[in-house]
Amino acid sequence: MRLVSALRHFSSSKDRILRDRSSAQKLFINWGITFLLVLIAVVSLYPLIFTLLNSLKTNTEFAQHPLSLPERLNFSNYSETFTRMNVPKLFLNSIIVTFGGILLTTISSLFLAFAVTKLKFRGSQFIFLFVISMLVIPSQAIIYPLYQSILDLGFGGTYQGLILALAAFGLPLGTYQLAAYFKTIPVELIEAARVDGAGHLRVLFSVLVPVSIPAIAALSILNFVWMWNDLLLPLVIMGGSDKGTLMVGVALLSGQYDISIPLISAGLLVALLPVFLVYMVFQRKILAGAMAGSIR
Amino acid sequence: MKERLFLKGKSRNLGISIVVASLTMSLATVMQIGPSSGAPVTTIKVLSWEPGNAKFWKNTVAAFEKANPTIKVKMQNVPNNQYMQVQGPYITSKSGPDIMANNAGLEIADRKSAYLPLPASMLAIAKKNLVSYSGACLGFNPKNPCYGIPFSYQGNVMYYNKALLTKAGLDPENPPKTMAEFGVACKAIKASGNTCLALGLQGQFPSYWDFPEIARNYLTEADMRSVLAGKMPWTNPKMVKVLQGLATVTSSGWTNTDAPSIAMLPDAANLFSSGKAAFAGTIISDAVNWQAFGTALGDENVGAMLWPTLVSNAPLANSFSGIEGSVYGVTAWSKNRAASFKFLEWLAGPVHASLWVKDVGGISLYRNVDKKALPSSPALAQILKIIAKPTLHVGVLLSSQETDALSRGWQQVALGEITVAEWTASMQAALEASPSKQ
Amino acid sequence: MKTRGATWRNSSSETDKSFFWILRKRIMTFPYAGYLLTAPGLILVIQFKLIPLINGFLLSMQNTRGFEDPKFIGLENYHRMWNDPVVQKTFLHALILIATLPIWILLPLILALLIFQESPGWRFFRATYFLPYIIAPIVVGIMFRQMLAPEGPLNSFLRAIGLSRFALAWLQGPTSALLSIAAVALWSFFGLGVLTYLSGLSSIPLDIIEASKLDGAGFWRMLFSVVLPSIKPMLGYWTVLCSSGVLIWMFPLVYALSQGGPGISTMLPEYLVFLTTFQFLDRGYGSAIGIVLFLFVALITSFSVRYMFQAGTRETKS
Repeated sequence: MRLVSALRHFSSSKDRILRDRSSAQKLFINWGITFLLVLIAVVSLYPLIFTLLNSLKTNTEFAQHPLSLPERLNFSNYSETFTRMNVPKLFLNSIIVTFGGILLTTISSLFLAFAVTKLKFRGSQFIFLFVISMLVIPSQAIIYPLYQSILDLGFGGTYQGLILALAAFGLPLGTYQLAAYFKTIPVELIEAARVDGAGHLRVLFSVLVPVSIPAIAALSILNFVWMWNDLLLPLVIMGGSDKGTLMVGVALLSGQYDISIPLISAGLLVALLPVFLVYMVFQRKILAGAMAGSIR
Repeated sequence: MKERLFLKGKSRNLGISIVVASLTMSLATVMQIGPSSGAPVTTIKVLSWEPGNAKFWKNTVAAFEKANPTIKVKMQNVPNNQYMQVQGPYITSKSGPDIMANNAGLEIADRKSAYLPLPASMLAIAKKNLVSYSGACLGFNPKNPCYGIPFSYQGNVMYYNKALLTKAGLDPENPPKTMAEFGVACKAIKASGNTCLALGLQGQFPSYWDFPEIARNYLTEADMRSVLAGKMPWTNPKMVKVLQGLATVTSSGWTNTDAPSIAMLPDAANLFSSGKAAFAGTIISDAVNWQAFGTALGDENVGAMLWPTLVSNAPLANSFSGIEGSVYGVTAWSKNRAASFKFLEWLAGPVHASLWVKDVGGISLYRNVDKKALPSSPALAQILKIIAKPTLHVGVLLSSQETDALSRGWQQVALGEITVAEWTASMQAALEASPSKQ
Repeated sequence: MKTRGATWRNSSSETDKSFFWILRKRIMTFPYAGYLLTAPGLILVIQFKLIPLINGFLLSMQNTRGFEDPKFIGLENYHRMWNDPVVQKTFLHALILIATLPIWILLPLILALLIFQESPGWRFFRATYFLPYIIAPIVVGIMFRQMLAPEGPLNSFLRAIGLSRFALAWLQGPTSALLSIAAVALWSFFGLGVLTYLSGLSSIPLDIIEASKLDGAGFWRMLFSVVLPSIKPMLGYWTVLCSSGVLIWMFPLVYALSQGGPGISTMLPEYLVFLTTFQFLDRGYGSAIGIVLFLFVALITSFSVRYMFQAGTRETKS
């Protein structure tokens, strides 16, 4: 409701400007905008379509006709993908570590954001800044020590090890986003709950979380995307064991001397499919939720 | 809210039974995982990048486990281009797999602290079964400690497309033997509308696949051993001639114009496979070889030869740069040494070798490969003649710093950004920065 | 019995101000909840980010020859880095990328504003622009390797519409290679920016827009004095994300597209760390480059973070 009227007000002032010009100019501007948007949409979609077309060619066909449409719809690359990788197992592994990572990082971020924004205690600002500054550490630089840490904890090659690492890597950004959102929640809501005798956890889970669902949802889908797609952490922590993720399995489709672009394309699309489906199903909710506006 | 948590009556009973059933099932499954009753089974973990193909490894592991029922092999396969990132942390933490792989030459020598030297019994088996295994030994000398077992033979040849040669008016059964003839042939091929030599300068391929073929014109085996020891400076006139030879390949208009920004694999190899280039310098084993090109272009259209010579009377001008392929060794921290060495013994054996030839189309190091089992490809026949005269493969004698500098320098020379003199200087700097050559 | 106003400060009794009372007060008002709640998150980042970073720093002060035992050499690796022309060129490229940041910040903003007009198909555009982001970076690299090939789709298209002058060998020219890779990274991430700005735009309170309308503000006036200031937090957030991420996002693309070449024209710090650590087996030197990269990125983002942090705290006070 609020969104629609806000948009209407914003657009109507633009229309007022446009009304002052000739209708030809108005048409030109509108079509110009649409053309630009369409152009960028094409640029966004084409590489994916190109990869899809490549995945339906044989390697020989790709070598000889890289640009044209496939002669026949050749699904041999997909069947080979399923033969070479244990897709169901890898898929399950990806699900386990991704959801574990999202759960852990979201809860830790919630706790951190809540403590830092709503419980003003000594050192809270420092903790906040410290956590956020961990955002900028490049993973390549710390991969040897990181693996050693995980080994020392006894988590080498385990789901827990990867889940903890993923959660740690997602924490800084999540904390920042949730803290920013929490700051916009008026203190009165919390005061009201406290008057009813709610403790900290009750306040967090009964008051703040329901109100922050859009932010949590948006954060979760971002985390889902990068945790699902990550290659370095699962590779180093799982190292070829059967607990590897789908992405690791797909990367294995290119051997030392045996790199077939159509085969890799098929594998990549197989690994992409779950994320794509999640996105298509939830995008309206997430995007609408993210745009639902603040609470004023 | 709270009432819904506890179901009532029938639903509650149903819920409880479902929970109990699933718990029982999970417990049963968990208990099934584990050795079945009988002799104790040792499981060994093998870290590898799956050279060849997946089917080959499945078959050989299954055959091994059948012949050795008390040993189970768990292959841990990692993408080749990520192998270092996975292996490195294992080595520094001194934990992980029982068996690992590395390429023969400096690559495995650099990691010798991670491997157990082969015991005398293993060395005897290697000597008996394999044509060569010195690439797995320190300094390429079988009298020094050796760190693993290789089973495949690898090396450089140049493939040519007979149909394109014919189209350009050249004799497909008589490809160019010297660089001068090669230049003439390239003119004709370009005139007929195709690329002469498919080339890519990215990555490690220039060092492994191209550099040795030019180097054979100017270096002797003694020179190559100097290169290995770090005693041959790049400023030596012989080495400079090699670099100049490489530069000639790209400055004569023989190659595709995007060579500096693509890799031999897959891009340039695809160019050859597509029938748009007449020549490609690749390898004999694993992939992008006679089998792959034969599938793409037809076996009757593919020929194999040595690279054209620059100095036709050089001692190594007609020798084959051969090197063992991947080497598998037992890790220093392995707790299952006996079982692991049994697997290495298998790799040096006949069943593994015949699977390598059959499933991968590779060249095996096993002495008595059944010649009748080999496919009948004219290119393969040519290759078998070529590999009869092997020499050291100088490409694997370069340190990783030199390998990297060679590619990057060649890219810049091909683009006209630096001169050969500057390339030489950067190669020398790379040599001086190589700890393995001090 | 304690009344609301009674504290130890205004208590007149001598015993109240004794040591034990102070201690008891400290224990009772100790922010247990605060520290307890922050504990899981802190443990995670300390164990998996800070400690590896410190260990990485310690590693950077050692001379590592392959996998032999390392020797302590203090800051010698950093001294070597200072004089290394490859390192210098690499960080120069990083600076060039940082210089392209304004495009990263403004392009999604413009697109978000256009979509916000809700012209026909806006939902489709919104969904489509986010799609590149969900594709794994390594996939993006492999896709664009084919797209940017000299005979690839992009050049074929340019030739078809008569712009063959622009059908360059994108990944081959000294400057075009780096900028092409930056463009690919932008392709990957611009959708995220569009979404971020859209969420900011839609949370502009109605009353402010009403008020400016009553003041008779036109389209541009409203844009600059109402809309942009209101989305400042989003702008700041996206700026920080881009400045801290751009160098790190580039790694899979450099790896898949150019491997730092031709020559070192697309060499970036994180790829150099990878090369040094995993190919040259010089872990100490690689770690040193990594630490310097970390400081470099921290410096660049520190300005934005400070601004963001202040803006955040200012909001709650108003």
